[in-house]
Amino acid sequence: MKRSFKLFAVAGAAAILALTTGCSSTDNSETAETSAAESEATVEGDPISIAFLMGAEADPFFQAMKVGAEEEAAALGVELIWQGDPAQYSPETQIPIVDAVLALNPTGLVLIPTDPKALQASVDKAVAAGIIVVNVDTRVDDLSNVLTFITGDNQDGGAKAADALAGKIGYAEGQSYQVVVGSSSPTATTNQARLEGFTNRIAEMYPGIEIVDVAYSESNPEKASTNVNNWLTKYPDLSGIFAIDGTNASGASAAIEAKGLKDKIALVGYDAYPDNVAKIKSGLITALIAQDPAAEARLAIQAIVNKVKDGVDPESREVVIPNVILDSSTSDADLKTYTYVAN
Amino acid sequence: MKSISSRLRPHVGRRRLRALASNQSAILVGVLIVLIGVFSALEPKFFSVATAGNILTDWGSVVLIAVGMTYVIISGGIDLSVGAVVGLSSVTAAWTMATVLGVGQDVQGSAAYGTMLVGAVVSVSVGALVGLINAFLINKLHIAPFIATLATMGACLGFSVIISTGMPIGSANDFSLIAPIDSSYVPFSWAVVAVIMVVTILGFFLHKARFGLYTYAVGSNAFATRVAGINVERQRTKVYVLSGALAGLAGMYVYIRLGAGSPSSGNGRELDAIAAAVIGGVALSGGVGTILGTVLGTLILFTVQSGLIMVGLAPDWKKVVVAVLIAAAVGAQSLRRGGGSQP
Amino acid sequence: MTDGVLYEVRNVTKSYGQVRALEDASIMLRAGEVVGLVGDNGAGKSTLIKVLSGVHRPDSGEILLDGQQRSWNSPREALDAGIETLYQDSSLAPHLTVSQNVFLGRELTVPGFLGRMGFLNSKKMDEEAREDLERVGILIPPSGRTVTQLSGGQRQAVAVGRAVAWARTVILLDEPTNHLGARQSIDVLNVIAAAREQGLAVMLISHTLPYVLQVCDRIVVMRLGRVVADAPRSSFDADSLIGTITGSINSSPANEA
Repeated sequence: MKRSFKLFAVAGAAAILALTTGCSSTDNSETAETSAAESEATVEGDPISIAFLMGAEADPFFQAMKVGAEEEAAALGVELIWQGDPAQYSPETQIPIVDAVLALNPTGLVLIPTDPKALQASVDKAVAAGIIVVNVDTRVDDLSNVLTFITGDNQDGGAKAADALAGKIGYAEGQSYQVVVGSSSPTATTNQARLEGFTNRIAEMYPGIEIVDVAYSESNPEKASTNVNNWLTKYPDLSGIFAIDGTNASGASAAIEAKGLKDKIALVGYDAYPDNVAKIKSGLITALIAQDPAAEARLAIQAIVNKVKDGVDPESREVVIPNVILDSSTSDADLKTYTYVAN
Repeated sequence: MKSISSRLRPHVGRRRLRALASNQSAILVGVLIVLIGVFSALEPKFFSVATAGNILTDWGSVVLIAVGMTYVIISGGIDLSVGAVVGLSSVTAAWTMATVLGVGQDVQGSAAYGTMLVGAVVSVSVGALVGLINAFLINKLHIAPFIATLATMGACLGFSVIISTGMPIGSANDFSLIAPIDSSYVPFSWAVVAVIMVVTILGFFLHKARFGLYTYAVGSNAFATRVAGINVERQRTKVYVLSGALAGLAGMYVYIRLGAGSPSSGNGRELDAIAAAVIGGVALSGGVGTILGTVLGTLILFTVQSGLIMVGLAPDWKKVVVAVLIAAAVGAQSLRRGGGSQP
Repeated sequence: MTDGVLYEVRNVTKSYGQVRALEDASIMLRAGEVVGLVGDNGAGKSTLIKVLSGVHRPDSGEILLDGQQRSWNSPREALDAGIETLYQDSSLAPHLTVSQNVFLGRELTVPGFLGRMGFLNSKKMDEEAREDLERVGILIPPSGRTVTQLSGGQRQAVAVGRAVAWARTVILLDEPTNHLGARQSIDVLNVIAAAREQGLAVMLISHTLPYVLQVCDRIVVMRLGRVVADAPRSSFDADSLIGTITGSINSSPANEA
């Protein structure tokens, strides 16, 4: 019953999305004409269309990515087809949308797979149809047919979060501490990689810290809030929380604020939502690990265009974009630069 | 072929079972007690005022839409848009407070009340407006409620993302409204108290007033209701507007919880509301259901959720437990109907 | 009242899409008279009753109550004029109690502010419902049980009783003896006769011709949307009645009584 609900929701949502993104496609239509005049070296002489299939529209991370994608597409004169589920980050809703997009026969597909195994078939299907595929942020298991994989360094991000958390807790040798991790999805490779980076760093550098629980909130900040509420009850000696993404950071910070435990619990989050960046000043959030989603999108589009126009492969199969740490020592100017913006 | 005597005399054991199944609320309370017992045995900290507070905080937002859903399903319809309305109303209220009124997150405590009142009015109005649209689609365009509300659900999700640009919008708030009044003894927060008052009033209206009676009548036999001189379309409109308005109220509740309006805050809540109502004894075919049942059903849902987190079990178990409860509830219902003549 | 006619429709036509359900049909009812409406399936009887009760608006034709032109925009308007109707199979809301069904659309509210908010006086309605039904000869304890817990016969009895209890001018009954055994059917016929004594205009649709011949003063026959016969009961016997219904006996339309 749940599956058919979701499929129906996808149908309705895709219809709405088609309407709303129709706006962004028309923005590029005039540049498509100029690009036809400009480019002499286009492989087939057809206008290049790139389908960008992201995770969940409602996530500011992907909104920021959209800004970068639209800028780059306009600059290079290619058509951008921006698609994805409006709110749910899951393979069940993503796969039908990928299928629908493939039917449009784009030149290239930038895919943010919500599950490394489940989306493999879709990638293979696209490659078989002659479409160039790039993975961004998350990846499928088998990258052999994928042009390139561009991601933030999630492992490093998790490790940096561990450092920030340990620092705020005031880690001292020989003492015991309890921390928890609020994550969104057990399958998203980003979440997994950050968790791994975090866990490894803790084990390596901070053996006195015990990760007592990891819970999943399905990108719903209210659920993240619920998880924190229950943890605060179960672990009265809890020292810190690692919120693995933006929605978790939003929900966790609200829960801590409501219980008045701002100065007692250290909270390190991920993704620079403007609301959460503001909480760094008040001390509610110790640090945020920020990525550069716009840059990731730009590189992805560039890679496809280069391949189509010049037949050139990108330098490396995997491109890792470094993270930035935003904390109380970050300058106001830098805070502004790295805060995720949307249209 | 059974003997005549055995056909005339229903099995005694079955009759006893049916009588037991008839006392719906008693069973639900029993299930609740069993759940609390099991979870407390596995994790002693579960049995605490703090946990009760956590459960009630979660219960507060969903019970509002579950009550609305109860009215709608009793009237013979369904409203799949309520989750998306929570997100949309929350975001619109936050946008009004932050952008139109220009009030920032720095305004906290009782200074925020004036602004929040405006936000609440906006939130409820947005929900009521969506309800009006649902009623129009169903009454005038004769679209089946499942399809009509699925469409508005998609539209609301889309608008949520457009208004919020995918990011949570923060504004003035008073987090003490969502915190337990006295964390040692009183698990209720003022927000929860307000919700209880709203739910109680709606309970009286459903069971003691004409509005509730007509709701049952329409769901039981729309034709008989019409020829009795009652305006069936007007009754349906009122019910869908109520459902939307309650979702809007829930949107404000979630805003208070998060200190921000977040587009993904209502994700999946419509299914939670339906599950809660069904566990509480509502029949999807219409004409059957009680407010007390829904209240208890919602309570059971969140007792399970909190319990699983406290006990440390994966959240996927919640889905299994909920599925079992739904099956049991539907089974009890057919048991109750088994003896009498079929409508 | 002209010629004692209380309620009539003249030259009524009603179509659903391509289907002509009623073609130039006219019927009149007098106070203190029981008219039987008979015809085969698809003759248009149920449609005619729904035009009389305000459920359907006719495409053309006139409706006159007490000599005055009327037009029913909704069933409510016909009810307000004292016209009660029993529909085939669908008169009661199964999940509601007997008294809730009896008072459906006409609920009694508690006094004061709560009453204006619509809060119901269930106890009073329970009592009065039981009295009303008893008065017209239906004995069912309207306890808190819902109608689904009654047998088909009991439900029909409640529906008939409700119509008779509320009627002030006209009462229209579509297959009132459906689901009823022989003895209960006789009870219903007695109720109908009592209604006639009270001065109501009664119209009765029934497939059971013996009952029609027993209780009706006048019989109207319809075929394929038209009225093909309208004559006192005495001018029919079982065979001629069936013949007129099936069309094997030709009868000139509108034999005024």
